[in-house]
Amino acid sequence: MPGVAFVAHCLLNQNSKCSGGARCPGVYSPLVGALRERGWQIQQMPCPELAFTGLNRFWAVREQLDTSAYRRHCRRLAKGVAGAIEVHVRAGDDVVLVGLEGSPSMGVHVTSSDPERGGRPEWPDGTDELTPGSGIFIDELSAELAERGVPLPRATGITHQLPDHHGPGELDSIVALLEA
Amino acid sequence: MDAGDARGYRVALIADELVNPAARGIDGLAALEAAGWGAIQLPSGDYPDEVAAPLLELVAEQTEEFTRHGYTVAVIGGRAGLDEALAAYGVSGLPSIEPRSTAALTRFLAAQ
Repeated sequence: MPGVAFVAHCLLNQNSKCSGGARCPGVYSPLVGALRERGWQIQQMPCPELAFTGLNRFWAVREQLDTSAYRRHCRRLAKGVAGAIEVHVRAGDDVVLVGLEGSPSMGVHVTSSDPERGGRPEWPDGTDELTPGSGIFIDELSAELAERGVPLPRATGITHQLPDHHGPGELDSIVALLEA
Repeated sequence: MDAGDARGYRVALIADELVNPAARGIDGLAALEAAGWGAIQLPSGDYPDEVAAPLLELVAEQTEEFTRHGYTVAVIGGRAGLDEALAAYGVSGLPSIEPRSTAALTRFLAAQ
């Protein structure tokens, strides 16, 4: 039975990306199409980085954002999202999360890491910073849900910013999540 | 902005029922997608106030960042409490529409 997909903010609003990151003008169609075709409702999560470091932020890895202040900010956002997830879970809805792989905040299975990165923002293309793990907002959302006794929904991430992105494979992953 | 960046610089605060339309309802998200707008989804009208209020604050917080940088921002459908949440962040007077048809919404978006 179709349920509710909580999706990363940028998947409905590419304007929230940092410079150079927007793949399309606004709505990321492949995800919306996959959800709509299967009758899933969409709920958009806030972008943790947009409200903290702003539209003109640099690209960043997890270590650059992983401060106490950013963790508090993410927890504040996570409380709002967890409240909404809790409403649906208590109502018996099937709930999934769709994050953004490679993101220091919204990664589900892949985040970005480089303990040495800092200073002048020179960031040649490459995959060195990509590493298994979740982003900071996903960490805080998991913790907030656990405190409420709400199980973490099954989750995956959109892969369009990974160097090995493969559109059909991404769609297969979304469908597998929805139909699990 | 990076030359490879595809953003449209237009953002709509859009009611939940236009993102998740009922059968034969207006598909606001499809209209935004076709017109090259991004979406900030407003909390569902089914959420209790204690769930919706913090979500509205987050919507306002993000909206202020877009208006501060000169993005085109509009309200589609609205929601109770939105004006107050935006005002708390110094945002007011956004163009808005309660669309009665997809065509009307499309015309509104094109006119911004």
